[in-house]
Amino acid sequence: MTEHESSAAARQKTSPSRRKFLKTASAALAVPYIIPSSALGNAERPAPSDRIVMGGIGIGNMGRGDQGAFLDRKDVQYIAMCDVREANREQSKGQIDARYHNKDCQVYSDFRELLARPDIDAVHIATPDHWHAIMVIEACRNGKDVYCQKPETLTLREGPLMIAAGRRYGRVVSGGSQRVLEDYRQYVEPAWAGEYGTIKSINVEVGPLPQLCNLPGEEMSEKIDWDMWLGPAAWGPYNSKRCSGSFSIDGSSWRSFSDYSGGGMTDWGAHHFGGATFICDVRDLQPKEVVYHDTPERKYLEYHYPNGLTIYHNRPNTGNMHIEGTPGEKLPPKPVPQYQGEGGIYGDFIHCVKTREKPFRDIERAVNTCVLAHLGNIAYQLKRSLKWDAAAQQFVDDTEANRLVDRARREPWQL
Amino acid sequence: MTLDQAFEALRKFDWGTPLAEVSGIDDAVVASHADAALRQDLEGRLIASLSTDISRDAKDYVCRKLAIVGSPAAVPALSGLVAQEDHSHLARHALERIPGPEAASALTGALDKVTGKVKIGVIGSLGARRETAAVPVLAGLLGDADPAVARSAALALGAIGGGDASRALQAAIGNGGKGNLTLIDVLLSCAESLLSGRQTAEAAAIYRSLSGDEQPRLVRLAANRGLLACLSAQA
Repeated sequence: MTEHESSAAARQKTSPSRRKFLKTASAALAVPYIIPSSALGNAERPAPSDRIVMGGIGIGNMGRGDQGAFLDRKDVQYIAMCDVREANREQSKGQIDARYHNKDCQVYSDFRELLARPDIDAVHIATPDHWHAIMVIEACRNGKDVYCQKPETLTLREGPLMIAAGRRYGRVVSGGSQRVLEDYRQYVEPAWAGEYGTIKSINVEVGPLPQLCNLPGEEMSEKIDWDMWLGPAAWGPYNSKRCSGSFSIDGSSWRSFSDYSGGGMTDWGAHHFGGATFICDVRDLQPKEVVYHDTPERKYLEYHYPNGLTIYHNRPNTGNMHIEGTPGEKLPPKPVPQYQGEGGIYGDFIHCVKTREKPFRDIERAVNTCVLAHLGNIAYQLKRSLKWDAAAQQFVDDTEANRLVDRARREPWQL
Repeated sequence: MTLDQAFEALRKFDWGTPLAEVSGIDDAVVASHADAALRQDLEGRLIASLSTDISRDAKDYVCRKLAIVGSPAAVPALSGLVAQEDHSHLARHALERIPGPEAASALTGALDKVTGKVKIGVIGSLGARRETAAVPVLAGLLGDADPAVARSAALALGAIGGGDASRALQAAIGNGGKGNLTLIDVLLSCAESLLSGRQTAEAAAIYRSLSGDEQPRLVRLAANRGLLACLSAQA
């Protein structure tokens, strides 16, 4: 890798900028060449030198949607994609080439090759969750801005490392839950208008917990680089349900299994917990403790925040996003944060790539949301209440819980 | 389900076995938090099972449990698995989490016995443990003939951080590592940890060393951003 990286560094130092490259390439053509108006740019389509050059990693169920959203944008030039499944590579390349009426899209099965390309400005990542941290960090090291699907982290330890890598290199790193802003407006707007008064609590209904995958091996029914799909996760035999990108969390997709996902707690929790923390304006905080309840009716949690807020998880006899405010109190209104640019969360990301502003779903806020889900999973697993030191990113006086903050990565993968 | 029944089921446990058949072990992991005698019994049974001919899947399962409840008593059984390619990952998963010098010594001691990916894994585990005592041996691996091993050692030193790790990385950069983005990245990471530990002068020295025109633009910007943070911390 040293040699590989030395050459990457050399490319960074010596490679011409995209503008220079285009200029040089045009001049080098020996035959008469008519430059299409679209290449020069017009009111509808920015010139190539002003487009954000993008690639995508993990073009399965979610990745296809993300790719389509970026591909539709006139200010994006999508030039490369990576997936460990041959069928995904073929389908994705077909869509990209059809969009641009050429055959130029480069495909990769190893994300490191895509990330080493100096001509790519930004990437979107939609792999299973066990790959997110490694890829986001590697993308930042290579100077890419990143749009990462939710749930952004698989373990508590990954979040701070992803944030640090993004901040180190001044990268725009956006999480991928569009629902945080878009699904809970009926609660967000009155909350930020101060109509609930001080919010004392909110309830989030989400689940189930992840389970260990012990599916038997089966004959491989697709062309997939199995070792690369598993990546940093523990080895297990190929099984189509183990690696299915289906949205189900009932044991028939990777989203169900703890080696690859936090189960429903992180999968839909990224939306619901994200929405709850947005409604209550605690996106920049992490809870200080999680209290575990085991009642005859159901198991549930209370997350206690330093500012006095309680977020419940699956509180009995309470609906999703049930808010307990302060009757009779009206707080001063605050402007509700919105996406910038045009095109929802994707437009927000692209706008921030251009302006270097923080996106709505900045990685730090996305990580804070994931922390809720991970703390909950650990409390349910250990069946006890836990105190969380957010500054130190560790549990207080609980050795076993601290052993669950992270996990070893299968060789040769490392954070 | 009793613990006896669960360990009996573990003997035949393999891919495809319903997890419910060994759930008694999971229950004991939780219950033994407040029951020292149960914890000792459970750990002893888990350790003993690793020396039997249970399946790879069963040993993986046992290692996952020892990652939560294992003590130094489990280290000899786990260290026997570290050098085995099929078992190394989850044995390391447990050893990364078991406190004390025994687990650290097992990992450090394995370095001379393993190669390739397995060695990279062991190096990564020393980094994940933030094993400061391993800094000299990791520093020695920065010049390893296998670039993947050298890269792994750099990442581990970055995870450990501190003055000694930083100096080792700076020496490697000065000794033919200029332009090695992994070395530079982890050195920047060390500077961040030094700065957050209020060792501002040391952090600033690192940032200055990476802010010259010979560095890629991305690195120069990162170093200058770090220098500004140092100035801010001093103000």
